[in-house]
This record gives sequence, structure tokens and C-alpha cells, in this order.
Amino acid sequence: MRRTYLGEFEEVVLLMVAILDGEGYGVTVSQALEEHTGRTVTFGTVHNTLIRLEEKGFVQSELGGATAERGGRRKRLFRITALGSQALQEIQQLRQNLWQLLPPHTFRLSGI
Amino acid sequence: MRSPVQPPRWAHWLLTWLHPDNTLEEVEGDLHELYTHWYNSSGKTQATLRYLLNVVSVLPPFVRRRKTNKQQPEYRTTSSLNSIMIRNYLKIAFRNLKRQKISTSINIVGLAIGLATCILIMLYVQDELSYDRYNEKADRIFRVALRLRLNGKDVGGPVLGANAGRDLQQEFPEVLKTTRIRNQGSEFVNYGTTSFKQDNLLAADSAFFEVFSIPFLKGDPKRALTEPNTLVLTEGTARKYFGNQDPIGKVLLFGSDKTPYRITGVVRNVPENSHFRFDMLTSLAGYDEQHIGWTYSMNFYTYVLLPEKYDYKKFEAKISRLAEKQIGGELQQFLQLSPKQFREKGDDFGIFLQPLTSIHLYSPFGGTELRPGGNILYVYVFAAIAVFMLLIACVNFMNLSTATAVRRSREVGIRKVLGSVKAQLQQQFLIESVLLAMVALLVGLLVVGLALPFFNQLTGKTLTISLLINPFVLAGLVAGTVLVGLLAGSYPAFYLSAFKPVAVLKGGGTAGRRSFSLRNGLVVFQFFITISMIIATVTADRQLRYMRAQKVGFDREQVLVIHDTHMLRNNESVFRNQIIQSPQVITGSISGQVPVGNTNLDNTAVMSKENPDKGVMSRFYYVDDAYIPTLGMQVVLGRNFSKSFPTDSFAVILNETAVRALGWQQDPIGRELIGHIDDNGAKTYYRVIGVVSDFHFESLRQKIGPLVMFLGRNSGNILVKTHTDKLPQFLASLKRQWESFSPAAPFSYSFLDDRFAQVYVSEQKIEQVLTLFSSLTIFIACLGLFGLATYTAEQRTKEIGVRKVLGASVGSVVALLSKDFLKLILIALLLATPIAWWGMDQWLNEFAYKVTIDWWIFALAGLLAIGIALLTVSFQSIKAALTDPVKSLRSQ
Repeated sequence: MRRTYLGEFEEVVLLMVAILDGEGYGVTVSQALEEHTGRTVTFGTVHNTLIRLEEKGFVQSELGGATAERGGRRKRLFRITALGSQALQEIQQLRQNLWQLLPPHTFRLSGI
Repeated sequence: MRSPVQPPRWAHWLLTWLHPDNTLEEVEGDLHELYTHWYNSSGKTQATLRYLLNVVSVLPPFVRRRKTNKQQPEYRTTSSLNSIMIRNYLKIAFRNLKRQKISTSINIVGLAIGLATCILIMLYVQDELSYDRYNEKADRIFRVALRLRLNGKDVGGPVLGANAGRDLQQEFPEVLKTTRIRNQGSEFVNYGTTSFKQDNLLAADSAFFEVFSIPFLKGDPKRALTEPNTLVLTEGTARKYFGNQDPIGKVLLFGSDKTPYRITGVVRNVPENSHFRFDMLTSLAGYDEQHIGWTYSMNFYTYVLLPEKYDYKKFEAKISRLAEKQIGGELQQFLQLSPKQFREKGDDFGIFLQPLTSIHLYSPFGGTELRPGGNILYVYVFAAIAVFMLLIACVNFMNLSTATAVRRSREVGIRKVLGSVKAQLQQQFLIESVLLAMVALLVGLLVVGLALPFFNQLTGKTLTISLLINPFVLAGLVAGTVLVGLLAGSYPAFYLSAFKPVAVLKGGGTAGRRSFSLRNGLVVFQFFITISMIIATVTADRQLRYMRAQKVGFDREQVLVIHDTHMLRNNESVFRNQIIQSPQVITGSISGQVPVGNTNLDNTAVMSKENPDKGVMSRFYYVDDAYIPTLGMQVVLGRNFSKSFPTDSFAVILNETAVRALGWQQDPIGRELIGHIDDNGAKTYYRVIGVVSDFHFESLRQKIGPLVMFLGRNSGNILVKTHTDKLPQFLASLKRQWESFSPAAPFSYSFLDDRFAQVYVSEQKIEQVLTLFSSLTIFIACLGLFGLATYTAEQRTKEIGVRKVLGASVGSVVALLSKDFLKLILIALLLATPIAWWGMDQWLNEFAYKVTIDWWIFALAGLLAIGIALLTVSFQSIKAALTDPVKSLRSQ
């Protein structure tokens, strides 16, 4: 089965877009990233990742209405596609399955 | 509304400048929003820093570009430049061109003529620039020339005395070789029973063939000219004398005293693009000059061969010191003046080097060159004409293409409706115009082939089309033509393909006046060139007529010149006396001097008896008593030489200029002048017995100088004044009498008026070339105007229709259409007038006797241009004015 590869950062950004539910764009995505993961990344990284996700077909975008606080410029709002949510669910499923396979004493040995 | 916090402007500017356009808006907005956020949370400095960092993160090369056509990833656009489409383009192109036969042929002819002219001139310029470059060592060969200013007159030249070459080789080790060339003019050459008058005789040192690259066919180049009385023939001459026989070792007899010369070699013919030409090259070995030095008997063209990559200017400075010593010493001996005194008088001397490759175009010594040189000015003028012609032709091509293409706006509309994209339409138009240009190139090459013989005749060259066979030249021509085609096609291609199909099909106005000012400018430019050419042609023609009609001061009608009568030796005067018995002869005079053309005679100083220090440089003529009546010169004072005055051998006749120059205000008759000073300083006095009115003894380019006539024997020609209507019989009888003396030379003659016309051949050529080119420019400009008129008439069809419906007459419509063009031509006339005036003034400065440039020439040129333009335009405008308005308006 050929699957589109989704990188770790891409996965997080995709999740953010999904969480923001249609309100996701450059600013909200990077602020949410900072808030929820504590990672500070440059705007360019987020921008590039969003473009890449769109190219892979995981998100789709459209230009939203202009708001005064951005100097009258429109936002590009991102929304997760069916393909995107399927990919996220598959990853989730895969992890779930893998967790099931984990022998119960593993973490106990490491002191957790 | 502006948000209260603004990011730093320069960082923002960086973003807008470098960030990809299609994501700029959202990124700008996002960053702005972030900046406001940072500003509120961490203050201005922090915000600015973070803003800058983040701006950089979205600049190339870090930023990822959004692909624009990601909307239809599954739809692949096919290129419209595949073979099927190209075949279709060509088919449509041929159909279109065939449908509009007239405009197609006008377009092709215009461009073809432009291209042909350009190619011809290119051939000419290339030939002019190629002179002497056939020599393998061309860039290392230099000619030593003399700069000499004597009595305020530049008398220097490319020739030096016999010893200059030898001295230079002895003194300077960097001189690898030197060779001298002496011009021997022409001589009668006998072989067996045949006798030829052999022109193009040169004599040279044996090193000649080590300096110049003229390959040997037979004989040894190293030894060919080492012995006295040996000579080398060219291929052509060898065939003329010996046919297929081997000429080596054969002996030719030279001149009336039959000096034997042995043939030691045969070389290839001297290339046409050489600054010298010889048919026979004799050896200078054993040639003794009476006076040796640098400035005595200056008959030697002296060439030096320098080492590779040697700075000749440095060498020039070095030899100048030797020249200073040598020529200075000779001047001292000759004029009793030290170089310092000589220079104080305002005179000067020195030598300089002329690079071999610049001799043909840049040498200032016109008349003393081995062959008449070219002129770099003409090369520039021709090149400029070529560029202008090509430019005008291209502009026209473009105008005409546009004009015809506009008719096809409906076709464009339909095509667009049927799904043709812009690129396809552009390709269609571009391919059509490239096709047209290629056809024009073919026609142009054909025209070049046909016109080359005439062009050669006109320019006196032997150009061949073989230069064009060179793959680089051919590739350049084709590439240039394709470029012209693309450029010419680009306007209709981009303009028409941008039409909105709805607008076109609705029949709405397609009149784009957008580029009208550009096209107006082009018309002005074309007519500027045309008018300047007309002015130049008319002025050159007037000058030529003026010179032909100029009173030369003697009668050149019905004067026959019998050449080479010195070959009769002692029988010369017998022959003369015999022919003047004939009833058809009025008088006959024996003289070497024919007052036409360059005589290459030196000026000699004469002094009046009262004022022996003031020398007047004069021409000397040695004539007999029949000379003045034969040539019909006017004796204004005193009398002609006469046999009844034995003292006339010490008498002179002056021209009026000489009288003035000698400073004799009153009656000069009976005064005496010093005509000759021998080596011991003994003076010979001559008494003035008569004054002749000034006559032109050279060409009208020079002012009439002082002239002194002595009574003396000077053989060479017999001038015969005749009155006969039975010229052939008369000439036949002369020939019989000539042959009765069984001379070594054949009978040959010319007419004085023909020789007079010969002098002005170069001016005549310039005039012919100008006439040719100005007619061509007029023709091409008219084509352009025709195209433009067609275009405007087409554009204004509806307007004309409405005007006619409202009652405009045909005349007023024609006037309406012509008015615009008239304005442009008047502007062109205004621009051309001062520039043409300046140019012609420069040209006329070459002549001592010249016409003035009158205002009517400009008026004439303007009227001519306007007339031609009106004629061209009226064809179209009358057609447009006569069109039934119903036709032009019915589609509305």
C-alpha cells in the first residue's frame, strides 16, 4: 500500500488545522503550536508546511475576508480534507495497534 | 483604516520585493498580525527583531512556492507547437499570402530590396576593409612616409629617397626586412615580333616576396629579383605573352632602346584588394640613383617588416631621431637652412609609419599612391546607408504586416470563439511573417546576384557572391531575417491576439491609436532620410554639371591627343609636320603636357629678378609655338612664342595667377624672372613675353596655381586640333602615317574632352551611387507610406462612410486623409534641411570651385517628397473616398 508520507511536524500542523476547524491560517496555526507544544518556530516553517500539506492534498485553502487588523489583507484559511483526516486517523490507528502490542512490563522496568 | 501599529517599513519593503507574488497578500497579512501581537506582548524592539527574522524565513530560498495551476492537476495542456499545428500554420499562412497578392508582393519586394542593398553594401564594405589583409604578416608591415611642409604647403608623401630603407635596416636590428617599390608606370615591351604597351610595372628589391605574401608558381622566391635586369611576371601576364610556354629564362625587351630583361619567376596575380598592383615586377638590383639620400629622388615606397607584437609607435619614435639627422642634413645642404631655421619659417619635416592595413582607407596621399585609395568616410556613409535602408525596410515590413493583419480581426475573433488560445494565434502571425521574411531574403539574394555586375561597374570593384557562401555569413543572414520576421510579426501577433472576440465580431472599432505616434515617428524618420538623400543627389549633380560646364580656359572640343609619340624618336616632329599638312587639321603641337588630370609634375620655385628671395612654386610647361593656338588659350597680354624670334628660347609665358604671385602690379611684359639655378648658383634669367588667361590644368578640385611656360622640346604626345566630320577616315589615315615610321608602339589616341570627363569619374560614381540609393530609399519609403495609408484608410472606413452620408465631397475626404501625412513630411523636411546642408557643405569643401547650396534645393526636395507622398497616399485615399458608404456602413 502506497501511503503519502507525513512527517512529524507536518502531522502536528495538520492536527492544528483540524483542531482550529476552518479558522486555521498562518497566525492561528503558529500561535496554537506555541501554546500547545511550546515549540517556537519561524513563520516561514509554518507557511512552507501548509503549502506542502496542500500540495499533498491533506488540506485545502481559500482566501477569506479581509480584516482591518491586518492592514486590509485577506487571510488564507485552511481546512482539513477527507484525505487529511483519513491520514490522521490511520496514524492514530497505527499507533493504537502498536500500543496494544507493547508488553505490559516495559515501562515498569524503566521506572514509570 | 490603518491599524495603529505598523511593522518597520524597510523590512516590509523587503518582503514585498522578494516574496513570491501569489502568496504575498496572505503572508503580508499574517506577519502584520503577528507583529501586532508581538508588539503588544513584548514591546517594539522585540517585535521588530522577530518580524525581521520571520520575514527572512519567507524569502527565497527558504520559502516554498505555491504552484498556481494545481487546480487541474489531471489536465495536461498540449503544446501548440507540435508538427500538426505547424503544418496548419504554414497552410493558413500560404493561403493568406495567396489571397492578398498585392500587399504580399509589396511587402516582399520592399524587404527584398532593403536586404539586397544591405547585402551589396556589406560586400562592398567588407572588400574595402579587407585590403592588404591577404598578407600573412599584414599586421607587421609598415610603410615609411614623409611628412614635409615646404613654404606652407604639405608636400609629403609615401615615397622616400633610395637610401631610407637600407639605412633603417642597418641602424635598427628590429627591422627584420625592408623592401622598396618603385613605380615604373608603363613601358613598351617586345617579345619576338609582338609589342605591347605594358601597364602596371613596378620595380622592387629582392626581399619583396619575403615581406608580401604573393605565392610563386614558378621560380625561386629567394633568388628571383637578386640580379639586375631580371623580372617576375604574374600568371595573367605570362599567359598574355607566352601562352602555355614556360616563360622562365625568356627575355623581354623594354622601351625604345630595347633593354633586355630576363624572366626569373611567375607569381599568382596580385589580389584585387591590394594597395599596389603589378603585371611585371622588375628588379631594383644594380639600380643607381644619381643622388642618394632620403629626400633626393623620392621615388621609393619603403616598407619595413617588424617583429611580432612589436609596438610600432615606439619604433616610429626611434626612427624619427635618425630621420631628423638625415633629412635635417639634406635640408641644410639643399636649402642652406638648419632644421631649426626651417621650422621657424613655419615649415616642418619628419617621417611616420603607416600600418599596411590602413594604407588603403586612411592614407592621406591620394595622388601619389600606387593605386587610388579608398576613403574611410565613404565606408562609414555606405554602412550608414545600409543600416538605414534595412531599418526603413523593416519598419515598412512591420507597418504593412500590421495593416494587412488588421483585416483579419474577424478571423481572429472566430478562431478565439472556436477555442484557439492566444499562443496559437501569436504563433500563426509570427510564422506568417517569418515565412514572408524568408521569401524576401531569397528574392533579395536573387536581386544581389543580378545587380552585382552593375554594382561592380559602379564601384569599380570585382566583388563576387562567393563571400556569401561562407556558412557563418549565411547563418547570420538567415538568423537576421528570422529576427526581422519575428520583430515585424510581433506587433500584429500580440496586438491582434489580444482582441476580445466579442468586440471584434460585433464589428466594434478596432482602431488602436495606441501606437500611432510611434508609427508617425517612423514616417518622419523615413522621409527625413529620403529628403536628405534627394538633397545630396541634387547637390552632387549640380556640382558635377558645374564642373563639366566650367570654363576651363582652353578649348577641349575637337582636340585629338595622339599618345606615346616619343616612341617615334626623331621622327616625332616629322610626323607632326606631315599630319598638319592634312586639310582636316588646323594646328598640331608636340607636348608632354595635357592640361587634364593629375600630371604628377613637381612644383618648382621661380623668383622675380627684383625679389630673388621670394620663390613662387610654379608648374613648368615646356611647349612649342603651336601649343597655345591648338588648345585655344587666350593670350591676354603680349604674344605667343614664335619661330621668328630666336631669343624666345629665353622667354616665358605666364598665367595670370603667376603674374599676381610674382607681385607684378603693372605690365609684366619684358620683366625678367629666375627660372633656373644650377649647382654652382649660376642663375638663368627668362624674359616674360606674354600672359595667358588662367586655365585649369588639373581638376577643379584644386585652385589654379602659378604656371610658367617655356619654349622647349617636350615629347610625349601630339595634340591635334581638327575640324572634320569624317573622323573614322581621318583616324585611319593617321594610323597609316604612324605605321609608316614602323615605331615600337601601336597607334593610340584619345580625345581631350573624353579625358576631361575621365577626371571626374569618381564624382560621377558618387553621383550615380547617390542617385541609385536615393531612388531606392524613395521607393521603399513610398511602399511604407502606401502601407500606412492603406492601414489608416481601412481604420477610418466607417468614419468616411458617415462623412459621405452627411455630405462630404470626395475632395474633402482625400484632403482629410492626406493632411496627416503632409504634416509628417513637413516635420521631416525641417529636420533634414540643416543636417543635409551641413553634410553637403562638408563634401563641397573638397572642391576649390564649387556650387553654392541654394534654398531652392531644399524646397525642391521638399516638394518632391510631398509630391511623391501625395501620389502614394492619394491612391488609397481616393479609393477610400469613392467607396459607396452603403458598403462600409451596412454592417452596423
